[in-house]
Amino acid sequence: MTSGAVVVADLHKSYGAVDAVRDVSFTVEQGEILALLGPNGAGKSTTLEILEGFRTRDAGRVDVLGIDPGDRATGRELRERIGLVLQDIAVEPYLTVRETVARNAGYYRSPRDVDEVIGLVDLAGLERRKVRTLSGGQKRRLDLALGMIGNPRLLFLDEPTTGFDPGARRSAWQLVRNLRDAGTTILLTTHYLEEAQVLADRVAVMSGGTIVSEGTPSTLGGRDSALARIRFALPEGCTAAELPVAAAVPDEGLVTVQTREPTATLRQLTGWALRRGSVLDRLTVDRPSLEDVYLRLTERDVAERTMDGSAR
Amino acid sequence: MNTTTHRPLHRDLTLLRHQIRYEQLSFWRNPQSAFFTFVFPVVIITIFGALFHDVPAGPYFQGLSALQYYVCTIAGLSVLGSCYSQLAIVLSTRRQDGILKRVRATPLPSSMYFIGLLAHCIMVSVVTVSLIVGIGSLFGVPLPGHAQWPAIVVTLVLGAASFCALGVGVASLIRNAEAAPAVVQFVLFPLLFVSGTYLPIQSDLLNGITSALPVKPFNESLLGAFARDADLAWQNLGVLLLWGAAGAVVAIRRFRWDPRPS
Ligand SMILES: Nc1ncnc2c1ncn2[C@@H]1O[C@H](COP(=O)(O)OP(=O)(O)OP(=O)(O)O)[C@@H](O)[C@H]1O
Ligand SMILES: [Mg+2]
Repeated sequence: MTSGAVVVADLHKSYGAVDAVRDVSFTVEQGEILALLGPNGAGKSTTLEILEGFRTRDAGRVDVLGIDPGDRATGRELRERIGLVLQDIAVEPYLTVRETVARNAGYYRSPRDVDEVIGLVDLAGLERRKVRTLSGGQKRRLDLALGMIGNPRLLFLDEPTTGFDPGARRSAWQLVRNLRDAGTTILLTTHYLEEAQVLADRVAVMSGGTIVSEGTPSTLGGRDSALARIRFALPEGCTAAELPVAAAVPDEGLVTVQTREPTATLRQLTGWALRRGSVLDRLTVDRPSLEDVYLRLTERDVAERTMDGSAR
Repeated sequence: MNTTTHRPLHRDLTLLRHQIRYEQLSFWRNPQSAFFTFVFPVVIITIFGALFHDVPAGPYFQGLSALQYYVCTIAGLSVLGSCYSQLAIVLSTRRQDGILKRVRATPLPSSMYFIGLLAHCIMVSVVTVSLIVGIGSLFGVPLPGHAQWPAIVVTLVLGAASFCALGVGVASLIRNAEAAPAVVQFVLFPLLFVSGTYLPIQSDLLNGITSALPVKPFNESLLGAFARDADLAWQNLGVLLLWGAAGAVVAIRRFRWDPRPS
């Protein structure tokens, strides 16, 4: 069977007058990491919580490891096989780290080893600390430990690294990659585009309740076929019109040249500069970053919000 | 992979023991719950013991000595605290903090979660009631005899179960956890007074009304089991069970796990 671990087709969900999710369809293949991106209120958490069985859907078909999460009768079996981290941290304050993990381990048929999991989320050494005394990021890591303690085949992570310091974030990425390599399917949401870039096999961008684009981090929104972008500081006493190629008006003091042939264009530019005896200070060549593509894709949503905000 | 839904009994029992153990840990570590449900009734009975230990039996206390009467009503108070107040407050707080939702994300069946809580509350009740009876005996109240134990156990378990159900029912109606302690005490405090917990009520009219409410029937059952002929007061227990059933119905219909239900 080659069908995905998660299959969503024409999903709809509204809260009263708010259409939180409209016509969403996507598939997460076995053993891949799919990142769901999108601005605040785009409907990411709502989608995840429908898949996790917390929320009912208004319409559409949903299949999670062959189980319909809307069906109460198979709820326990579903929860045996999935693990999850919710967007809001929720941990019992008066238990210790180890007790918290051991308690949840007891709920599963075949849990992972408690101390191993504590080590994997970098909480080794804090086992006997009361949860109440942990820092925000440490609590979040404890939450991640609870998500994986049941040895799930599918893991839902709603903004799992929010509040992590850069070191903790990197080790969480490695952890998630290791889980994926061991065969776990992972569906996560994030606001950190770097996280999506380094972690996700595929990304889907949601905006205003629908998926506006889907692809790999390097091809999303036509990123791979986009023009290369050469940027540098305009040499002293020189105007953009004197350049040998067409250039955009300086932005933040940097000239931007868009080109399909970066090698040839660079040669033209550097040759011109050397002949004049000037330098191209702060020279960079790149393609639009995931963030640039993301911002372009979600522009409409942001524009709408700004309108709402300025409405009298 | 084993996908059968049949659950061996011993797995459920292990799960239940596991759940009770962690409920006990959370309870005794939380200074607030440990204080209000445990220390408070113990302090009250000690004070009453010091004040009333030499008040002899008389009609004012239904033919009992003052302290015999108070050992029963304060035992009732402690069950109310361990079951009704504790559950109403703990469950609304856990819901607001998202802890209930987190539990819901695991394969622990919700029935098991509630049976665990019920067993935990009964255990706390048994511990506090034993302490209260023990302190009473220090002040000269005779310990119950063998013949009384069956009635005492039945009364305590049925009372605790009914007040647990009421606690869960109230937790299902409370929306804001900050308001929970106030709502719970606001209902309970006057009810304790008119039900004779702190003073025997001599008004027939008032007693007629409170006999249909949950606290007085429980006090009467305890008085019957501990201090009188050890007969089970079935009529009083019946009223109590009806209230418990009402709480259970509200809980089943209205209980929410999610802090922001859709
Ligand atoms: N329980 C609820 N009741 C009413 N409206 C809700 C509820 N939950 C979410 N919404 C609304 O649904 C929309 C989508 O919310 P959702 O939480 O899915 O967004 P999100 O993409 O996860 O956002 P964020 O990045 O801020 O977490 C929002 O407009 C939100 O206000
Ligand atoms: Mg969200």
